[in-house]
Amino acid sequence: MLGYLTQQTISFVITLFLVLTLVFFGVRALPGDPATIRGGLDASQEEIQLIRKSLGLAGPLVQQFGDYWASLARGDLGRSIREQRGVSRILSERLPVTLRLASMAFALSLVVGVGLGVVAAFRQNGAGDRLILGYTTVGLALPEFWLGFLLILLFAVELRWFPLIGYSADPTFGSFLYYLFLPALTLAIPRAAQLARLSRALLLEERRSDYVRTARSKGVRSLALVRHVAANALPGLLPLLALELGGLLTGTIVVEQVFGLPGLGLTILGAISARDYPVVQGITVLAVVIYMAINWLADLGQLIADPRLRYQ
Amino acid sequence: MKRPVGLLLSLLVSAALCGVGLAQELTLAAAAQPETLDPQVTAATSSFQSTKSLYDTLVEVAPDGEIVAALAESWEVAEDGSTVTFHLTDATFHDGTSFDSADVKASIERIADPATGSPKASEFATISEIETPDENTVVLHLSEPTPALLATLASGWGAMLPSEKVASGHDFGNMPVGTGPFVLDEWVRDSFLRLDRFEDYYKGPVGLETVTIRFVPDSAVQLQGLITGEFDVIDTVASADYGTVESNPDLELVREPSGLVLVGTINNRREYLDDPQVRQALNYAVDKQVVLDVAYGGGEPVGTFMEVGSPWLPDSIGHFAYDPERAEEMLAEAGVPEEFTLDIVLPQPYPTHITAGQIVQDMLGDVGIESEIRIVEWGVWLAEVYGGQHDFDITVIGHTGKLDPTGRLDGYGDPDNNYAGYDNEEVVELLDRAASTSDVEERRELYAQVLTLMHEEAPFIYFGTPFRTYAARANVSGFWITPLLDTFDFRDVRID
Repeated sequence: MLGYLTQQTISFVITLFLVLTLVFFGVRALPGDPATIRGGLDASQEEIQLIRKSLGLAGPLVQQFGDYWASLARGDLGRSIREQRGVSRILSERLPVTLRLASMAFALSLVVGVGLGVVAAFRQNGAGDRLILGYTTVGLALPEFWLGFLLILLFAVELRWFPLIGYSADPTFGSFLYYLFLPALTLAIPRAAQLARLSRALLLEERRSDYVRTARSKGVRSLALVRHVAANALPGLLPLLALELGGLLTGTIVVEQVFGLPGLGLTILGAISARDYPVVQGITVLAVVIYMAINWLADLGQLIADPRLRYQ
Repeated sequence: MKRPVGLLLSLLVSAALCGVGLAQELTLAAAAQPETLDPQVTAATSSFQSTKSLYDTLVEVAPDGEIVAALAESWEVAEDGSTVTFHLTDATFHDGTSFDSADVKASIERIADPATGSPKASEFATISEIETPDENTVVLHLSEPTPALLATLASGWGAMLPSEKVASGHDFGNMPVGTGPFVLDEWVRDSFLRLDRFEDYYKGPVGLETVTIRFVPDSAVQLQGLITGEFDVIDTVASADYGTVESNPDLELVREPSGLVLVGTINNRREYLDDPQVRQALNYAVDKQVVLDVAYGGGEPVGTFMEVGSPWLPDSIGHFAYDPERAEEMLAEAGVPEEFTLDIVLPQPYPTHITAGQIVQDMLGDVGIESEIRIVEWGVWLAEVYGGQHDFDITVIGHTGKLDPTGRLDGYGDPDNNYAGYDNEEVVELLDRAASTSDVEERRELYAQVLTLMHEEAPFIYFGTPFRTYAARANVSGFWITPLLDTFDFRDVRID
């Protein structure tokens, strides 16, 4: 276990360094910088140079790279060029919105996806199975922005059950549900379809195991069988769940834009357009940390759930 | 029993008539959000749309476009143009301190200071000294006559800030402190900005209690919100939706000329495009009214680099009529080869300019000029098309309004740096003279000559001025958008 943890930590540090180096030079390789954008259509080249100097961007790139890592080592993510305040503060305001959205979407897709997968697997080739397979095909094919607009049109414009756009910082569950249900549903529909397909496949494979055949021949009733089959098959879902959860963070970019939710997705889009380097870098650090932590937890969860892996 | 019921009814009726019971709260949906609420470090109209309600300027622009008194009750310009003296009114900042001449000095010195990094610093460069003989008087000494100074002071970046906070390096970008009619309550970036009425506003408290500006980039969502009553005013209406708004008795569509001049900028540095005859031919090849109607939802064509409605646009200049045959003849005369292909570069965040570029591509195709369209992100457009290598043959953009023609035209007196690469020594000289002339009539004449030359030599395909179109619920009155500056004014708004 210790060896595994050490290996994971080394791999995390290397990945973080590589990703941040790539992002650091990547965003700076884009044409235009914060000074050009702040100057707009009126500024002369001299004025843009002055703005660049006032933003601390006039020095050589290598020096800026060194300064960035030095402040990162001190736990300082820097200061936003566009918002003129600390990146950590911006992240602490925006992260909760994205996390609430992602967790609601994750819970919805998990319950609906796995539930449908179980039903489909135990009713193979029946009407229910065909219906569920039909949904998964459509669900996977729908683009998120289109699905979002469709839900807005139905539930916000026609039925007026949910708000058109926006977010409330009111920290009550009812308020989250009111503002986040449609965006979470938009994210959950394709993900639930993916989970339904995979859990159906895993369960069908498990159903063909020898112990199931034996249990059946001994007359074990289907409900007890479902419990055993599910317990053995579903740990196989964990890597996909980790991927889905990590993917939700990127999926929120589109959905936050459609529903006007002030989360990390909208922030990084705005930061890239404004060439707000510290914010782009800060969100990248956060995303890498979250993504790797989720994967690590999934690996660990799989080890715990499936004793066979511990002996490999 | 009759009397109490009657009394209740009459109370209800009078309450309804007085508008009591209807909260004076307005929600406006805006397509773009502010970059910052520090008016001195930005050039973005979206920032000034919000800072207009938070800060005041010494002078301001009235609905008819005239520059009128604001924090300065009156002013005198010395005959030789070397000084401008302002007499200040009594006003209070949001932090409770009084507005006085020291604040004017601190505000102007802050924006002119290179350390501030203001894109508007150069507009204050001719102020050599600021004298404050008493609390209510400020004298600006100028190194040369600066006829555009009043326009600069009336613009968003001319905002007055409290001197104590300037000295302490206050974060105006996130915590604005001005003398404006509203104070900032909450700003959630990418979502909304809420303003509360400032009770000590120097012109007396305004009618609205709160204003919420919601940032909604999608015009279809804006319209749905207006229809459902979630928004009271929306700043963008797609031309396809005019009918929907007009046929709804609860809504009102407002269309008025904006402060923009829309152009297809021609890169005058490129082969064949360096020939004024070819550029004129391109102007004849494009039907401007179609471009304005289809891409921008209507507007009025112009023939030079000044918006319709500007007092500086000479009456004598007409626009290039749509004449593809003439365009073809002129192109043939200029020796433009048949395989001539243009690189049309369009800015991605502006779908209207992209549509305009596609129409131009189609119309140029009709006169035998092929073109390819490249759509680039805004940062790329600014760096590679507008600046740097000027990597384009034609691009489409709108130049926003300026209160004084200096702001619009001065860049064209520098052939190396203006993105069109327009190079005319006579224009350089005329602009130099106009920038240092105080006499209004003489300036008008000099700018008329510049604009006439810019018509004849056609460094742009001139489209015209689009209508500014916005919509409101019918019970909203008194909302207006400042001419030329395009900022929101909520001071006279009332909800009935």
